[in-house]
Amino acid sequence: MESAENQTPEPELVAGFSSIRERTIAENSLVILLQGLQGQVTTVDLRDESTARGHVVNVDAFMNIRLKKVLHRDRRGRLTQLEDLFVTGRNVRYVHIPDHMDIMETIQGQLAKSHRVRNFAGGRKEYAKKKS
Amino acid sequence: MRILLEDEDGSIASPCASVVDSNMEERERDTGDVNPSSTSSDCKATAPTSSSSAPSVPEHGADSTRAASGDLGDKLDVCSDNFDPLLALYSPTVPLPFPNIKCFNNVSEYESFLRGGRGRAKPENVEKRQRKAMKGVADPERIERLKKLMVRNPVPEAEGESSSSTPRRRKQKPPKNVLTRMPLCKGGPLGELHRCVEERIRVKVHIRTFKGLRGVCSGFIVAFDKFWNMAMVDVDETYRELLLGEALYHEKALTVSRLFEKLKIQESPEGDEQAKKHKAKGKASCPQSADPSPVSKEGSSKRGDNRTESRLSGDSVRGEQEKQGASLKARGPETGGRKHSQAYGKVHTRHVNQLFIRGENVILINPQPL
Repeated sequence: MESAENQTPEPELVAGFSSIRERTIAENSLVILLQGLQGQVTTVDLRDESTARGHVVNVDAFMNIRLKKVLHRDRRGRLTQLEDLFVTGRNVRYVHIPDHMDIMETIQGQLAKSHRVRNFAGGRKEYAKKKS
Repeated sequence: MRILLEDEDGSIASPCASVVDSNMEERERDTGDVNPSSTSSDCKATAPTSSSSAPSVPEHGADSTRAASGDLGDKLDVCSDNFDPLLALYSPTVPLPFPNIKCFNNVSEYESFLRGGRGRAKPENVEKRQRKAMKGVADPERIERLKKLMVRNPVPEAEGESSSSTPRRRKQKPPKNVLTRMPLCKGGPLGELHRCVEERIRVKVHIRTFKGLRGVCSGFIVAFDKFWNMAMVDVDETYRELLLGEALYHEKALTVSRLFEKLKIQESPEGDEQAKKHKAKGKASCPQSADPSPVSKEGSSKRGDNRTESRLSGDSVRGEQEKQGASLKARGPETGGRKHSQAYGKVHTRHVNQLFIRGENVILINPQPL
């Protein structure tokens, strides 16, 4: 996965979001569920047994998560307040999904959005697209 | 004609020859000259080729005096009453009323064209030719029409318009996304996982730490993908936190046991959980010590048998114990137990309603037998 992350970034076709490649990767994996969490407050358990709780700004296809207004609790339990936190995808162990969110509905909603953008992008570049 | 003239050059008076010479051009030129035309009649005999035009020449010669340039134009005008076809045939400049007209070589050609042969200007053909000519040019009207046909078009149209009515384009394949890929893995391990999703079987997912087992998540899987990322609900997580120092210490001494531990995990995935339970109960079946390794193997097989029967009871016992103490210290009154508990680190349990697990951290998944 790390090698994929280090590859040259591909040109943005969509205003404000990812390339087709990233979108396909996201669509075919459960990352799309995490992308549906954007804007919610969740807890991310990291690989090193620390946790970070905050607003999910965005999640990319490689599960890199950007959080803001974060309370980071490290392995020993020490708390740190952070304005911005970026977590590499590989370092994620768990992501707690808020109770009020329905998993299937979130996935389907995200897929529908992406589908709409894709059908649209098939030649009508004059329209501005948004995915998130 | 030229040859004849050359012959006559010597014998006949030059004006005659010159007149014959210019017989062709006489029509175009403003024939104000009477003399040349009169003398040309003498040369008529010597110029047999011009015999056909000869009789008309004197007439024209007579008319030419009256003829003005406008009259000539009238004669050349196809649509006028005074049209002179002969004049027109020999004139290089005949104004055509319809310059872009289609030319035919004979009447029968025209006839066949009228009947609708190839190339007939039917209204469809005309349009076709026009369209071909306009091929590269962007047609705004066409763009508008195509936009209206767009399947999902949130900008000009309202969102949520049904796309089912729009006819499926031939290139539209069935969509492939994470949800459609879930049932595709039939026949393999992921197919088994899909079965757990469909039949809502409770599973135990073993989670790994950088080395070895971290803990077990027990819950129902809602969605998964090829990386074994999983979305689970109603998750009871039981895990222990290894102190780094201790782990390093034990790592050197327990290489063999680690292998056994892994084997045990393969054989009976609940080995470690049972180990904790048994430890608490006083049995020294700790997998970290070398001695009981053969014992633990036996024990594990026994446990494997007992697993299905006493699972519920075992779980509840463990759960109770852990809820009471929330740490091994509470259930480690035995010295042996205490030592092991400190070596292992504290065991925690928690309940999470909805959890997403990154597939990288999964060791194995154990569907709970019904």
